[in-house]
Amino acid sequence: MRAVALATLVAALACVGSAQAANGWWTFDRQTNIDSTLSWRWTYPPSPAQYTRSWRAGSGTSQNECRRAEGWLPAGWYSQWGHWNQYDGSAIRGRVWWLQDKYCWDGLTKRTELFIHSEETATNGQYCTSAYDDPFCWERAADYYSLGCIKLARPSPVAAFPNDLGNAHSTYHNYGGSSAHGASTDPYELYVFG
Amino acid sequence: MALNKLSLLAIVLALAATACGAAREAPAPQSAAGPRGLYTVGADVFGLASGPVRLATPPVAPLAGWLTPAAVPSPDGRYLAYNAWKELRHDDPALSWSDQGIGRGDPLATPSVRLYDTSDESDRVLADGAFSLAWRGDGALAYFKGAERDYRAAVVYEGDVFVRASLDADPVKWTPARGRYIVVAWAGGTLVAYREREGEALDVLAFDGPGRMRVLAADSALVALSPDGRQAFVEQGPAEGRPTVRVVDVATGRQAAKLDLTRIEPAVGAVGYAGDWHGDQVVASSASGLAIFRIGPGTITFDQNLRIPSRGLSEPRFADASGRHVTAWASTPSGGVLFECDRTAGGCTRFTPLPHARGVHGFPVWRRTFYNPSRPLQEG
Repeated sequence: MRAVALATLVAALACVGSAQAANGWWTFDRQTNIDSTLSWRWTYPPSPAQYTRSWRAGSGTSQNECRRAEGWLPAGWYSQWGHWNQYDGSAIRGRVWWLQDKYCWDGLTKRTELFIHSEETATNGQYCTSAYDDPFCWERAADYYSLGCIKLARPSPVAAFPNDLGNAHSTYHNYGGSSAHGASTDPYELYVFG
Repeated sequence: MALNKLSLLAIVLALAATACGAAREAPAPQSAAGPRGLYTVGADVFGLASGPVRLATPPVAPLAGWLTPAAVPSPDGRYLAYNAWKELRHDDPALSWSDQGIGRGDPLATPSVRLYDTSDESDRVLADGAFSLAWRGDGALAYFKGAERDYRAAVVYEGDVFVRASLDADPVKWTPARGRYIVVAWAGGTLVAYREREGEALDVLAFDGPGRMRVLAADSALVALSPDGRQAFVEQGPAEGRPTVRVVDVATGRQAAKLDLTRIEPAVGAVGYAGDWHGDQVVASSASGLAIFRIGPGTITFDQNLRIPSRGLSEPRFADASGRHVTAWASTPSGGVLFECDRTAGGCTRFTPLPHARGVHGFPVWRRTFYNPSRPLQEG
């Protein structure tokens, strides 16, 4: 096991310079609503060797994937429909990836408006007031909760969380993620484990 | 001393049976009557005064889930308005859209609001490209209608809320701007709906007439309206800060009462939308089953948490005037299950009417209750 990990590490370091040929995709391993794992995986075709970087991530406030606006992200494969560095929505801002809508396991309930994101401003900053929970400030572990999206932490003036959003963003662009920004259909996908 | 011990034992047993213990769960005995209230098994509807009926298609609202009822009886009991969903191409939840050859803008399904008339057993489309509806006590009907008829891949399904003063009246647009709305209920003459934003973020809205929209509760969801329709019991989950429930005056938006859910029994956790308010009691789904609250002047008091082992109960309703019995439903891999819980005995009975029913495309069949959440209302 240790040898495999070492080989993976060596291979990853050796291949930094040839990132243009990489083919990457997201995976999300649901464990709890506030402590799951988002990974970026990539290969250098035709080599089957697979490389991975992972971050703590959250999703939902319930583990019933069929509960709209509460349940975590439904299992299965997703297409990615866009990526923005300065998305300026009303509820979600900053560096985001937009995911396709998805039926949950009952085959009848559709989850919509799904993203990978954090809590930051459109300009990738932090807006932290004295409120208990500012929507664009990462204050505490409870910020991993979402209404269904995948959420990553980032540092803020009021809490020293790791820069997982920034690392995921750079990893995505350096190792096989699309260079496109805005709404675009690209082959890079997400798999959510059941 | 002996009396004290007996009293203590009685208290412990009472707590175990109700507030702090897991509710016993038993399948309905062969001789048991069916579930109370109105419910569907696929397209089959039970509980109507006219007897069981089969609708043209199962009542489902995939773009709303159970934020709003799948079907709503008219106040006079004659009609059943319901949500329908016609897939234009199958969408396999295990596969990505790319892997299924689904491209941006491809039409995937058409939602519609349909109307079943118990007087002549007719079943017709009332509004195509529409979903989520609310009947007012005087028969006015509100619903959301998409700007386009079809729900399409990677296109946010936006539209407007329309109100018909009666079934024969022309629809009047009540929204000031196009958006993602989900109609829920009437609170007297005020229409209550959701505005959905990125990430399925919800705001509870109040419409006082055409173009007169206001936010009643931001980043919140509706549990229930008071019997007189003057107040709304709303919830916020942990994604919006401390989990709380609040009572809000519908006319003014003023907060009348608030309860921090982190200060009550931890098993409650947070509560879900689509519950019920009867008398001074409110029932809502909780993280571990069902939570019951009592509403007083300016106060919300936690009353009871019924722990029920299941994937989570949805749309709990008081089943009788005393508030002792509560109905709800849950989804399981083998299909939907209906529950009736006795708060005093601390137990629930499971019902699986039409146990061999099958859903579409191999998915489990839905068994789900339906109701009219508008207030005030004399349900037919």
